[in-house]
Amino acid sequence: MIGFLLFSLSRAWQGFWRNAAMSLAATATMTLMLMLLAGFWIIQAGLLASIQFVEERVEVVADLYDGTTTAQVSAITARLNEMPEVREVVYVSKDEALARYREQREAQGEDDLTQYLDSNPLPASLEVSLRDAEDYAAVTEALTLEPRVEKVKNIADTADRLVTLTNVLSTAGVALLLVIGAIVLFIVINTIRLAVLGRAEEIEVMRLVGASDAFIRWPFVFEGAMVGLAGAVITLGVLAAATDPLSRFMYEFFEILPIHVGSISRDVTLLVFGAGTGLGVLGAWVSVRTYLIR
Amino acid sequence: MTLTRPRSSRLLPWRNGHEPSADGPPDGLDSRRTVLVLSDVTKTYPNGRDALKDVDLVVPEGDFVFLVGASGAGKSTLIRLLIRDELPTRGTVTLDGDDLARLPRRRVPHVRRKVGIVFQDFKLLPRKNVRENVAFALEVTGTPRRKIRPAVDRVLALVGLTGQAEQYPHQLSGGEQQRTAIARALVHDPRIVIADEPTGNLDPLISWEILQLLLRINELGVTVMMATHDADIVTALRRRVVALEDGRVIRDEVGGGYHRAG
Repeated sequence: MIGFLLFSLSRAWQGFWRNAAMSLAATATMTLMLMLLAGFWIIQAGLLASIQFVEERVEVVADLYDGTTTAQVSAITARLNEMPEVREVVYVSKDEALARYREQREAQGEDDLTQYLDSNPLPASLEVSLRDAEDYAAVTEALTLEPRVEKVKNIADTADRLVTLTNVLSTAGVALLLVIGAIVLFIVINTIRLAVLGRAEEIEVMRLVGASDAFIRWPFVFEGAMVGLAGAVITLGVLAAATDPLSRFMYEFFEILPIHVGSISRDVTLLVFGAGTGLGVLGAWVSVRTYLIR
Repeated sequence: MTLTRPRSSRLLPWRNGHEPSADGPPDGLDSRRTVLVLSDVTKTYPNGRDALKDVDLVVPEGDFVFLVGASGAGKSTLIRLLIRDELPTRGTVTLDGDDLARLPRRRVPHVRRKVGIVFQDFKLLPRKNVRENVAFALEVTGTPRRKIRPAVDRVLALVGLTGQAEQYPHQLSGGEQQRTAIARALVHDPRIVIADEPTGNLDPLISWEILQLLLRINELGVTVMMATHDADIVTALRRRVVALEDGRVIRDEVGGGYHRAG
C-alpha cells in the first residue's frame, strides 16, 4: 500500500514535469479560475457585510414627552428589552439630543441657532436598534402603545427597501456564484482532460501491459491534485499580496465598511484550497475513466 | 511432434512456483496444454458488420502460429478479443483457462499480463530509455523494485539490447525499437506473445532478424502468434498458418504457405 502510494506520487511528480508545458498551462487555467471564484466570493461577502452593517443601523426612534421620569424610561426600556426583535435600546436625554444637534451644526459649519433659545426644544428619545430590519413594524407598534411616547418616527419605507435589496442581492449573489462555479468546473475539467489526452499513449501502454485501474488512475488523480494545489497556492499568494493595498484603498475611498477581513480570508482560503484540489481530482478522475477497462 | 513446455519458466526463473493451473485441452483436440481456445466466436460491431464469424481456434502451448489475411479480414479484431479489449458477441474466448467474457473487471489486468503484445508501431514511450520502457511494464503492475532490475537485464540480454539499454527510442534503429517492444512484451513472462504485424515497418533484412528473435523465444517455450502480411516469411518458415477471410477461418494447416497450396 505504501509502495503503491509512493509509486503513484512519484509518477504524478514525473508526469507533471515531463509534460511541463501542458501542466503549467493547466495550472495557469486553474489559477485564473480560482481567482475568478475567490474574487467573486470576496465581492459577494463584502456586499453582504456592508448590507449587514447598514441593516444593523436600522433603528426605530421614539420621542418621549417632556417630563418623563427616569423610572418611566427604565420601565419602557425593560419592556422593550424583553422583545426578541430588539437588539439594544439607547436612551438619549434632552441634553444629549441638544449636544448632538450642536455638534452636527458645527460639523456642517452652520451657526448654532439654539444658543438664542432659553430652553431646550429637543425631545428626549429612545433609539431602538433591531436584530432584523424586517421586524420594524412590531417594534413600532409596541412603542406607539406606550403612554409616554409622543411619536414614533415612521421608517416603513426605508426598512422595506432595505429588506428587498438584501434579499435580491443575496439571492442574485448565490445564483451568480453557482453559475461561475459551473463555468469554472467545466473549464478546469476540460483543461485537465487535455493534459490527460496528451498522455493517451502512455495510458494505452499501461493498459496493454496489464496495469490495474488503480495503477493507471491514481498517478493522474494525484497529478490533478498537484495542479489544483499549485493553483490554490498561487491564487492565495496573489490575494494575500493584494489584500493590504486593496483594503487601504477601500478604506480611503469609502471611509466606511470595517469588514471583518479575518473571517472572509479564512473562508476564501478554505474555498480556494477546497475548490482547487477538488476540481483537480475530479477533472483527472473523469478524464482517466475514459481510458479504463470497458 | 510433442512439445511439452517445462512447468517452470526458462525466461524468468524467479517466477517458478507461481504457475497458474489451467484446464486441460478440450477432448480429442490435442494432448498438449492449450493456451488459447476460441470456440464458435462471432463478433458483430454496433454498425452491424460481422468482423468475425464462427471462428474456432485452439492454440496449444509452445505453438508458433501465423495469422494471415488481407486488411479487414478480422486479424485485428481477433487480437483485440484476446486482450479483452472487446468481448465476443457470441462464443467464448478462453485464455490460459479463463473465459474472458466471464472475467470480473478487476481480474482483466492479470489476464493481460499473460499476454505479451507487440505492435507494428512499437508503442514505445519516447521520453523513456530502453531500460525504462521495459521496466515500465513491471512498475505499473506493482512489481517490487528489487525484482525489476534483474528481470529487465535478463530480457534485454535475450533480445540483444544490453548495450543500448540507456538509449532513447529516437536513437535506435527500427529493428532495435521493435526488439525493445518485444523485451517489454516478454518481461511479464507471458503465456503467449502476440505480434501484430511486427515487421510491417521494417525492411526485409531487419524483418528476418525480428523473426529469428520470435522463433528463439518460441524455442524457449513461449507460445507465439504473429499476424502478418509478409508472404515470404510465412511461406519460408512452414509453420502453422491460420488464414482469415471476411471474418472466417478459411484455412488452418501446419506447414502451409501464405497462399493455399496448389
